[in-house]
Parts: sequence; C-alpha cells; structure tokens
Amino acid sequence: MSRYVLNDRDTFVRQAVEGLEAAHPGLVRMHDDPLFVTRRVPARGKVALVSGGGSGHEPLHTGLVGTGMLDAAVPGAVFTSPTALQVREAAQAVDTGAGVVMIVKNYTGDVLNFRIAAELLEDRHRVEVVIVDDDLATTSEDESAPGRRGTAAVLAVEKICGAVAETGAPADRVRDLGREVVARSATLGLALEACTNPMTGTRSFDLGPDQIEFGVGIHGERGIGTRASGTAAELVESLVRPLVEHLGLRRGDEVLAIVNGLGATHSLELGVVLREVRRSLAGSGIAPARSLSGSFVTSLDMRGFSVTLTALTEDLIELWDAPVRTPALTW
Amino acid sequence: MTTDDTRLTGADARAWLLAYADRVRRDVDELTDLDRRAGDGDFGWNIATALDRARPTLTDIPDTALPPDAFRAASDAHLGAGGTSGPLFGLWFGRLAQGPGEPWSGPALAHAFQSAVQAVCRLGNTDVGQKTMVDAMVPAVKALEAEPLAPAWRGAVARAARAAADGAEATRDMLARRGRASYVGEHARGVVDPGALAVAWFFQAAADTRAAA
Repeated sequence: MSRYVLNDRDTFVRQAVEGLEAAHPGLVRMHDDPLFVTRRVPARGKVALVSGGGSGHEPLHTGLVGTGMLDAAVPGAVFTSPTALQVREAAQAVDTGAGVVMIVKNYTGDVLNFRIAAELLEDRHRVEVVIVDDDLATTSEDESAPGRRGTAAVLAVEKICGAVAETGAPADRVRDLGREVVARSATLGLALEACTNPMTGTRSFDLGPDQIEFGVGIHGERGIGTRASGTAAELVESLVRPLVEHLGLRRGDEVLAIVNGLGATHSLELGVVLREVRRSLAGSGIAPARSLSGSFVTSLDMRGFSVTLTALTEDLIELWDAPVRTPALTW
Repeated sequence: MTTDDTRLTGADARAWLLAYADRVRRDVDELTDLDRRAGDGDFGWNIATALDRARPTLTDIPDTALPPDAFRAASDAHLGAGGTSGPLFGLWFGRLAQGPGEPWSGPALAHAFQSAVQAVCRLGNTDVGQKTMVDAMVPAVKALEAEPLAPAWRGAVARAARAAADGAEATRDMLARRGRASYVGEHARGVVDPGALAVAWFFQAAADTRAAA
C-alpha cells in the first residue's frame, strides 16, 4: 500500500487548493464554500471559461486558471464530480456579461452537474457547454452507453478556447471551436502500475513486472487489455497507430502531440516517449507541428502515460501558440 | 401582501418545505432501506442532509417572502449534494425558484411544476415508466393541471399528493432503465423507487402544514 502526504481525507482537496493559491498568489484566487478557483485579476469583456471535475487529476483544472486559459475551475472530491452548486457559483462569479463556456470531460456525474448548473443559469446568463470525449479506448457502438471518456485532449480544448476567448470572440464561436478541437483529437493511454486511492488506501489493480494495462483512463480503472510490456518505441507505436487511423491522418498533415504523464511517470521517461511519438509520426509522413510533454491530466500516482493527437489547422496553431500564463502552463 | 389564502405565499412554501424536511428526517431509514435494495444506499442520507442544510435558511425566510425564495433555499441545498438524485432535486426546486415573483394561484403552481419536471426529464434523460422520481412528479403535475380554473392551491396540491403517491406505488413493479437501480435489474422489482416516494412525501407535506396550522 502506498501512502499519501495529507492531514486528513476530508480536507485533502481544499488544503491542496490553499497551497496552489499560496504558490501563485498573482495568478489564482481560492473561493471557499462552495470551493472554486478563479483568476486573481478577473478578465472583463470576454467570454468566461469554466471547467472542473473530480480531483486527483492535478494540475488539471485548477492549475490551468489564468490569462489565456480558464477563468474558473471547480474541483470536486477525489475522482468525484464537483456539485452543481459549485459550478453555478463559479460561473456566476466570472461571467462579466459576455457569457460562459463550460468545458466538461465526458463522465456521467460531471455532465449532469455542469448541465444542471447551466440550465439554472440560463435565465440570467448565456451558457454554452463543450463536452470532451477523446479517449479512443472507450469507443462503443452502444447508443445507451455514456460514450467515450474525456481525458488529456481537454488540455488542448482549454488552451485553444482560452486563446480565442481572449480575442473577444463570442460564446458560440468559442463553443464551436472547442467542439472542433474535440472532433479533431483522440487519446490513448497505458499504465505500468495502477494508482492508489488516498481515501481507501487500495490499489485499483495489479500488474506483473512485464505487463502493462492498455487503454486506461484517468480514474485508476482497468483498460481494455493487459499486454506484455515493451520498449518505449514499441509502447508508443501501439498508442500512436490507432490514433492516426482513427483521426484519418495522412501524409503531410500537421498535428499537435501531447505526451501526458499519468502522475508518477518521470520526466526522463516522458522525454523518451515524446521522442518516440515524433519518430512514429515522421514514419507516416505526419508532421508534429507542435508538441508538449509533461504531467497535466493525471490519475493520482499512476505510472503510465497517454498520447493525444490533435489534427491542426493554421488557425489552431496560432491559437495554440498564443500567450498563456497559468500555474501549470505558461509561454 | 395578500391575505387571500387561495394563493401560495412565501410563508406557505416555507412551511411546506420545512414539513417536508421533517418528514424526510423522520423517515430517512425507509428511503435508505429502499435504496439499499435498489441502488447503493446513499439516497436517503443525501436528501436528508440536503434538507437539513436548507432548514436554517428556510427558517430565516421572512413572512413577506415569495414562493421562489423558499424554493431557492431548497434548490441550493440539493445542488450541493452528491449522487444523481440530489442534483436533480436541486434542478426541480431550482426551476420552481424561477417561478412568478408573487403568490401562486393553482394554475400558476401547475405551470411552475410542469416546467420543473420537464427540466428533470430532459437533464435526467428519463421519462415516466423508468422507475425514477419522475414517476411521481409527472402524475402530480397532471393532477395540478386537471382543474385549471380551480384557484385554490391547497386543493390542487392535495390532488397532486394522491397522484404522486399512486405514481410512487406504481414504480414497485417497474423494471429500472435509468439510474442506479438499472444496474440491479430484476432485483429492484418489488421495491418502490425512493426518489418517487420522496416526491410523494413532498406533496403530502403540504397537507401536513394545514393540519398543523
């Protein structure tokens, strides 16, 4: 059983947010009861971007509040949706009249609470919702199924929507662009070791020393198969090939490649992974026009990584390159 | 302020919601037991905790308040709850809180509850016959709408309470297709849906306020 550094389970998330604010006092501000995070200096005259979800995925979403990205982030308990009350209060706090775009990862609880908040805000606020469902491992033909999970592509959605919102774009334009990024993105992940739930102290599954779990999400659940491990090049190839196929990428296409650590994967490893992603893409004649590697959308202390590809256009490249200043992402 | 007692005032709504909170607190074990047999057992606790949270806010609402003020207090408390049913009740009360800013006649009440249940069906992605709270909400609205010209809210709500109780009872033999009970399938047959039962208690609570008055 692994251990976490914490005082007590009930205050774990709140105290972590206090620390985030203390580390970045010029960027973010914590609001208590209900808990949410906003920019320290509110942005006026632009669409407000609000995101959130269960905790345990840090630096997502609280670490992505700031200029060029989110206006507010709403953290739930570990792996648990924030409440509709938190979402409503956060959205009300940051809407300066241009409306709100909510960016929501596709999980039943998150979608329900954000949609309820949106519905109740609509008599006084313009609210649009973008659902992020990029995880290729959970593709299903079943129409009654909840659909694909939302994972690391949310980073691209928040960055690009954040950049276009800063230009003063109206809410429907920000929403449409968010949906376009979702449609152009796909993610696959794998784990070398499961994560441990800080509430229960239990590890979500066990793997042998030569095994990986393929197609994991970001809540410690099993993926779609336990496979033999391999070299970085082999593991990356097993992720990139289905992504390229799903997105219908062709020779000459330009993509954004995001290598995302799932919590306990070392920077050295992520560096090698990004190198292999670029080599794999280059082998198919696809240009990784923009790349990013780091632990952004984590699954507590899971050892593993995901690869997200987003098919780019000139407009999307420009928005990706636009300045951003948040605790976790700055350029 | 009107002294016309055919219309629902803020004070009436306050008393109604407090009576409902009392009923849920008193009989929370029944909800928990039903939910253990058909779900994961957290429904009663979530709802009772939400209503306990609403209680001080409700108590502070002045006699001059309007119905939306009372329903807003109930909504906020439920919107802060976990699970699925808590936020859906928050939505239901939240839509009531967007009702007219004056005392409500029977028809105004019917209209407000109609709008509220539509939102619950839409966002809960459910409809009658799926063993959920809307199996009590929808019949209640139909009863409220049955006599559009009858002005007195109490008579309309008494009819709604009977319809909601019948609707809740009818969930006993339903196979759940939405919500947590859908995971246990046939095992939930024979068990009344706790959400529908809570809705029936809600409408019944209005009658309890008259008894107390």
